[in-house]
Amino acid sequence: MRAALAILWDSFRLLQARKLFWFALGISVLVALFYASIGFNAKGMTLFFGAKTMENPLLQEGKPEAAAFYVMIFTDVIVKLWLAWVAVVLALLSTASIFPDFISEGSIGIALSKPVGRLRLFLLKYFGGLMFVALQVTVFTTIVFVALGMRVGEWNLTVFWAVPVITFVFSLLYCMAVWIGIWTRSTLFALLGAFMMWGTALLVQWGEEGLYEISHFNPEAGVTVDFRSGTRSEGESREKDPEMVAMHRNIERAVLPLPKTRDATNYLKRLVRMKERDSLLSGVTLDDLLKGELPDPKKAAAMKRLENRHSAAYVFGTSALFEVVILSLAAWIFCRRDY
Amino acid sequence: MRERPAVEIEFLKKRYGKFVALDGVALSVPRGTVFGLLGPNGAGKSTLVKSLLTIIRPTECRGSLLDKSIGDRKTLARVGYLPEHARFPDYLTGREVIRYSAGLAGVPGRIAKERAEALVGTVGMGDWGDKKVGTYSKGMKQRIGLAQALVNEPEIVFLDEPTDGVDPEGRIEIRKLIEAMREQGRTVFVNSHLLGEVEQVADEVAILSRGKVIRSGKVRDLTAGSRMFEIRSLGPVPPEIRGKLETAGLEVAGDRITVPAADAGEVQGVIDALRAAGVVIRELKEVRQSLEELFLSAVSSARQEGGKP
Ligand SMILES: Nc1ncnc2c1ncn2[C@@H]1O[C@H](COP(=O)(O)OP(=O)(O)O)[C@@H](O)[C@H]1O
Ligand SMILES: [Mg+2]
Repeated sequence: MRAALAILWDSFRLLQARKLFWFALGISVLVALFYASIGFNAKGMTLFFGAKTMENPLLQEGKPEAAAFYVMIFTDVIVKLWLAWVAVVLALLSTASIFPDFISEGSIGIALSKPVGRLRLFLLKYFGGLMFVALQVTVFTTIVFVALGMRVGEWNLTVFWAVPVITFVFSLLYCMAVWIGIWTRSTLFALLGAFMMWGTALLVQWGEEGLYEISHFNPEAGVTVDFRSGTRSEGESREKDPEMVAMHRNIERAVLPLPKTRDATNYLKRLVRMKERDSLLSGVTLDDLLKGELPDPKKAAAMKRLENRHSAAYVFGTSALFEVVILSLAAWIFCRRDY
Repeated sequence: MRERPAVEIEFLKKRYGKFVALDGVALSVPRGTVFGLLGPNGAGKSTLVKSLLTIIRPTECRGSLLDKSIGDRKTLARVGYLPEHARFPDYLTGREVIRYSAGLAGVPGRIAKERAEALVGTVGMGDWGDKKVGTYSKGMKQRIGLAQALVNEPEIVFLDEPTDGVDPEGRIEIRKLIEAMREQGRTVFVNSHLLGEVEQVADEVAILSRGKVIRSGKVRDLTAGSRMFEIRSLGPVPPEIRGKLETAGLEVAGDRITVPAADAGEVQGVIDALRAAGVVIRELKEVRQSLEELFLSAVSSARQEGGKP
């Protein structure tokens, strides 16, 4: 217990000493404040605490669409761009060196010569690294929670799902950095490994979503895309092409062993619940709302199916399995090595 | 009843792949003494200590550490360790390094705080305890390293090349700290390739070369085995008497005559002969072979043996 405290406290001191940590936290607060500055009046949406007004027929003070939209800015824009992307990059840059430093000659001996088992040491150090993101997201989400309560009057605790989900997304990449870092003792390789895994996972997830759109969404919503001119036209629903459907099924299987970083981030939208949104704005995109028009029900339904196409088991279960496998490899090397 | 030794290695072997780093070492460290493990770089000293502390996994190991079999995790709570080329997190202060080590060893927070306070003073870092380790000189880091090794009030302390990279003044202080540990009843196990230093503090030593213990015992006994006396005359020894002495097997060089003898009685005959020839004796002293000479001769003879096919 004391050993656990000592290690977590050491991790905390390490983060505190990182300039990037404060930099990231600073930007986090700015982004959260920008979010808090978005409001609604009788004409439309206002930015920077009312300094600028953007007229919109749907997003007006007191309208349930406005409240739902406000949550959507969080789940669709801020979480995706800032928390799951920039904040995770910064966190990886700051934490990739934790294990290579920890196992360096002259440093690891102190910890290993203590009455603490190696596996415990490894796990504690690992969880210490996750603190970086967990702390950042907690600060961020707290501001968002307050903003949401003040702006639209809904004190919605489900926004705090962002903390475990984003930390989990980060952990999927961090476990890679830990494994490579322990294996090669090099921070650089650790980073490269994590980014390569991330890149691969992203590409495949994009591919899967793209194929879903072509094989399921477009026929359901009646969207036709002319690939030569790039124009989209909307019409009646049509039959799905079985070959495309099969292709999508195959790529979905191929993604199975990979970490679902993007899908997990997207899943957050389903976890952050609002009283109104599910019925009112189900399948409505941010674009629709910004344009101030609601899509036809057929398209909204197709969009909703697209958003909900993966189960929690698919998104989190397989990712967790990936993490367990990578961590086991890392722990195995860590526990068996001669230092 | 006699206490069991603090460390008793019956058999210790460590292979890195094909390379044999420790080739069946046996040694024993009595409690409450300062023990020096000597040997050239690459002899396997660090490997031996790391084997005792579970930092590496020995290929084969029989023996005990503080009455428990080697490798027992709980025992490590009663052990202190300063690694070779010790590195501490730059972002911690000296005091924090000590408290971190205390935490890992399971020392309760309040006690750790008190001890850290006392220890920074003991190692002469009172003014620097709240500065970041990143700003320390090598000598300061070693002092903090010694302090963190003592924070759990260990029964035995392992110091791997503690004076490495430390200036002469700092070395003297480290020696004093080692002596103080012995006075507090701790066993101190020092690894070093610097013999002069170990000779001054160690009660017992073992010389390790290429993974084998080639000599071990009390420093006094080891150096006594080759006792000599040295007589110096006023002016060079006259040639006629010099010839006689040399035929008797003594070594004469200018004004110095070296007499191999176990005790002073055996030297008296030589003095009589010199006096009879009218030689004025300026000085008579007992010469012990230094640990360094013993070490060099032991290591080189081990090499020769090892070199034979
Ligand atoms: N992890 C390791 N892998 C392979 N060889 C090693 C390892 N650690 C030490 N050695 C080798 O074992 C020998 C003994 O090393 P060491 O115990 O550090 O010697 P000393 O401390 O006496 O200088 C050296 O030749 C060194 O190269
Ligand atoms: Mg060494």
